[in-house]
Amino acid sequence: MNAYIVGGYRSAIGKAPKGTLRFTRPDDVAAAVIRHLMNDFPQIDKSKIDDVVVGNAFPEAESGFNMGRMLSLMSMDTVDVPGSTINRFCSSGIESIAIASSKISAGIADVIIAGGAESMSMINMGGWRLVPNPEIAKNNPKWYLSMGLTSEMVAREYKQKREDLDAFSAKSVAKAIHAIDSGYFKDQIVPITIKENYYEDGKMKYREKIFDVDEGPRRGTTPETLSKLRPAFAVDGLSTAGNSSQMSDGAGFVLVVSEKALKQYNLTPIARLVDYQVAGVEPYKMGVGPIAAIPKVLKHAGMTLNDIDLIELNEAFATQSLAVINTLGLNTDIVNVNGGAIALGHPLGATGAKLTVQILNELRRRNKKYGMVTMCIGSGQGAAGIYELL
Amino acid sequence: MNRRIKKVAVLGSGVMGSGIACHFANIGAEVLLIDIVPRELTAAEAAKGLTLNDKVVRNRIVNNALTAALKSKPSPIYLKSFASRITTGNFDDDLEKIKDYDWVIEVVIERLDIKQAVLTNVDKYRKNGSLITTNTSGISIEAMIEGRSEDFQKHFCGTHFFNPPRYLQLFEIIPSSKTDAQVLEFLTDFASRFLGKTAVLAKDTPAFIANRIGTFSIMELFNNVNKFDLTISEIDKLTGPVIGRAKSATFRTADVVGLDTLVHVANNIKETTNDEANASFSIPKYLQKMLDNNWLGSKTKQGFFKKVVVDGKKKFLTLDFNTLEYKEDPKPKFSVFEKTKGINDLAKRMPIFMADKGKAGAFYRASFYSLFQFVSNRIPEITEDIYKVDDALNAGFGWKLGPFQTWDAVGVEATVKAMEENGYKANQWVYDMLEAGIKSFYKIEKGLKYYYDLDTKDYKLIPGQEGRLSLELLRPTNVIWENTGVSIFDLGDGVLNVEFHTKMNTIGQDVLVGLNKAIDMAEADYKALVISNEGDHFSAGANVGMIYMLAIEQEWEDLNMAVQWFQKTTMRMRYSSIPVIAAPHGMALGGGCEICMHSDKVIAHAETYMGLVEFGVGLIPGGGGTKEFALRLGDGLQNGDIRTNAFLNRYLSIGQAKVSTSAYEAFDLGYLRKGQDEVIVSRVDQLAYAKQTALQMVDKGYIQPAPRNDIKVIGNEAMGLVYVGADGFAEGHYMSEHDKLIAEKLGWVMAGGEISSPLTKVSEQYLLDLERKAFMELCMQRKTLERIQSLITTGKILRN
Repeated sequence: MNAYIVGGYRSAIGKAPKGTLRFTRPDDVAAAVIRHLMNDFPQIDKSKIDDVVVGNAFPEAESGFNMGRMLSLMSMDTVDVPGSTINRFCSSGIESIAIASSKISAGIADVIIAGGAESMSMINMGGWRLVPNPEIAKNNPKWYLSMGLTSEMVAREYKQKREDLDAFSAKSVAKAIHAIDSGYFKDQIVPITIKENYYEDGKMKYREKIFDVDEGPRRGTTPETLSKLRPAFAVDGLSTAGNSSQMSDGAGFVLVVSEKALKQYNLTPIARLVDYQVAGVEPYKMGVGPIAAIPKVLKHAGMTLNDIDLIELNEAFATQSLAVINTLGLNTDIVNVNGGAIALGHPLGATGAKLTVQILNELRRRNKKYGMVTMCIGSGQGAAGIYELL
Repeated sequence: MNRRIKKVAVLGSGVMGSGIACHFANIGAEVLLIDIVPRELTAAEAAKGLTLNDKVVRNRIVNNALTAALKSKPSPIYLKSFASRITTGNFDDDLEKIKDYDWVIEVVIERLDIKQAVLTNVDKYRKNGSLITTNTSGISIEAMIEGRSEDFQKHFCGTHFFNPPRYLQLFEIIPSSKTDAQVLEFLTDFASRFLGKTAVLAKDTPAFIANRIGTFSIMELFNNVNKFDLTISEIDKLTGPVIGRAKSATFRTADVVGLDTLVHVANNIKETTNDEANASFSIPKYLQKMLDNNWLGSKTKQGFFKKVVVDGKKKFLTLDFNTLEYKEDPKPKFSVFEKTKGINDLAKRMPIFMADKGKAGAFYRASFYSLFQFVSNRIPEITEDIYKVDDALNAGFGWKLGPFQTWDAVGVEATVKAMEENGYKANQWVYDMLEAGIKSFYKIEKGLKYYYDLDTKDYKLIPGQEGRLSLELLRPTNVIWENTGVSIFDLGDGVLNVEFHTKMNTIGQDVLVGLNKAIDMAEADYKALVISNEGDHFSAGANVGMIYMLAIEQEWEDLNMAVQWFQKTTMRMRYSSIPVIAAPHGMALGGGCEICMHSDKVIAHAETYMGLVEFGVGLIPGGGGTKEFALRLGDGLQNGDIRTNAFLNRYLSIGQAKVSTSAYEAFDLGYLRKGQDEVIVSRVDQLAYAKQTALQMVDKGYIQPAPRNDIKVIGNEAMGLVYVGADGFAEGHYMSEHDKLIAEKLGWVMAGGEISSPLTKVSEQYLLDLERKAFMELCMQRKTLERIQSLITTGKILRN
């Protein structure tokens, strides 16, 4: 039994914590994306949808109270559709698609909405109440090492140079700006209406605006401008705000259906998740996660890198991106062709879904077949998924 | 009707104007800061499509100036949030608003025609009865009232703030012939009580008092520098802290101020005065050369000093007056300093300097004889009252002894004779004074200070002492117990004051003995105790020398006892039968901070720099400070709070050795208690207010509190964060492995140990025992001892 992706959208990605989506809740952004997605499928009886699965890296506060269930209530016009929230940090957004595909393949579901949503403006990394296990913290403090420092660990281990990181990052920004200006993302983005009450001159006022363009890329970024930034995570570190992924807000969802549903609703399949694997690595250098995950997924799928036409490698940091690219010998011509997270942002739990939406659109634009979405994951994991465009 | 100042308008937002605006915001006033509308758009404004009609453009000059001021260091504002008390505007759109303001201060450019134009408009809009003052360092006040309304003239005078307004003490008030006496009286009181300044009423003479004399002192030296065969470094050594002046002494100060500024003032005095000292304000050839070369001091990177980097090391070269080349001076050495070693009282050191047979003595005699001659000749020209001259130099130039105070210290009669022998002559009134049998310019009697009044040829009480207390003036009569570390004063009305007087007011054995003695005495025979002193700083902390000695000798039992004694002493501050008030000023660090934190109430001077800085010497606060942070953390917790975040906020104050830049900031850092401790801006009123507060607590009924056994600690919940945080900081190379160890110990004490149940209630003694245990463990670390040794031997903090 196969599972098919028949549609997918994402929001434009806002900067956190000071960007356009800063006061717009992640459940509101996610619900808008899901509604837009389902508008394409009026023939589907919403009450027959099996589940809404949302990936989120810090499911608390505005993302709390089982956001998945809130989303099913908010966007389905019925109480019948259940909802769940799943978490594997930065791969949550593709993990949810893998869960949906697996359930459908197992024959226990036919229609699932899967994706991810995150507001890093509202919930900071680590969450609002980080309470490490004192025993672990004492004996293995690096299991909790902050992401920025894991990046430095990778830089130290791979003896990286600052100029290489900055050059890589500037290129990412240039590609992203080119993609935005060329309108490559236009069709995949759901315009979000931002509604805000604000205080000015002693009064509460109201404003509204449409948000539909990724706001991450900073125009005028060059290796030179990046070289002036100071280390962000260590006194003598190589990682800066300019060569690390941006904190972001956003959401992305796809609709996954069974063969039965395809026929029942007369749907056109776009793609399928061929395989998806997660691997564990040392937490202190979590950035190398894809080095373990990519070979694992290729082997399991019986494929090689040569079979892959496009790769979306989440740029958590330029350090880990380069470590992955160089170690595995990835073809840089097919990696992050429209820019990566350094330019466009990394909304943690939404990233997997957002990159899925992006790669499916780009495979179609280029008329290619296989695309890979891969990322490193905090506390030492790597994930990689292979899509086949149908 | 009582005059009250609530709203203050400051016209002109330059360095002085912005600084003045900030200082009024400091004291809680609503401030309007105004400057001119720019004539042209900047490129950035034009690109944004703005026009000269847009508010952001029209207020650009004032907004930029205020932003720059707020960013400058040291900060002009006590607390960043106080800046919201300042609104900005421009002359064209907002000047009218001054009709609602109580005080308008004009601080525009130093040009009479411009000042007159501004004041004409002020006269048009202001409300009757409001104050108008001009901040000028040289322009005649009288010239500014021409053509103004009668009400304006009555309420107008000069008010000369010194730069930077927050920090420099002096506030010269210069009346015109028409200024109402009540206005002057009001300003004098307001300047000291509200603004914390030393108000000096000056006559409308060129450069007023402080700059006239201070500039003379510098220019006289500049013009005679070749006579002394001394290097710049030597002169700065002789004119620095050894004679009670700033560390930057003469030439370094000139470089910092800027030679152009200095010469501008000197030229102004030379042009507008015509007395015997006129030639002293001439610009010597080498100085003119320096101006021509644009060697103006720090702002042009070279002046009398030039900083160079040789082999990666910074070095200061100094100018040779003859060759105008920069050279490296040998370290200054003078034999006279051997003789004054160990004499802390400046007044006792001065006669030894003056009597010296070497180059230093010759320099001092020439400098001071000429100064004495000059100042005696300026009375009554610049003021009738000699104390105003000393006040002005004390407060405006930071001279610990002003000219007449110095003269008293070296002996008036003998000096007058010596001056004659050396070709100088004191003014006739000094001879008259001596003839009348009066041998000194000042005398102290029953805690009050008197000055010699030329008019009556007798001593006269210096005004403004009513209701104030000064330890200096009480010292001859009111010290009832003392040892090498402290003096205990009877402040009257049943209140004692314990004063530290060790080097930097550090706390060692003698101070601990003294503190306990003071509490014993107060409990037995008095009502309350104040802890304050009049040194440069309240206290730099515990004397780490003692800890070092015991640790090096591995006298662990003794060290443990000593730490315990310190803890017991601070605990007695709070848990005694009398109220204990700490009244700190300047630095209150380490143990000094812990003493404040344990007193029943703190009356802190606004310029109090508090911090628990033990981290720097490889320790955690061991005198109850860490315990107190745990206590305050627990007391502050509300139901539902994210405890780990609250923990972290407090933890980082000690963990990063944060020192407040003002007393107000000390509340945010957790050293002072909101709703309990207080801030006072006026240093001269601080002690009397502390005493008054103590008496109020007595009157209200003070019962000795019982030590706490209900302190909520969060235990293990915090420990994970402590370990992970410390590891991350070390991994990011923000701190060393040793820092990590200290950070872990600090967290352990503040968390109350590895208790499983958060919000467990523990006793103060339990926390003190944890604190002492952690402290002792750190004392046993070689790296901690290396840090302490570094502080003792080099005065520098070692990060190992």
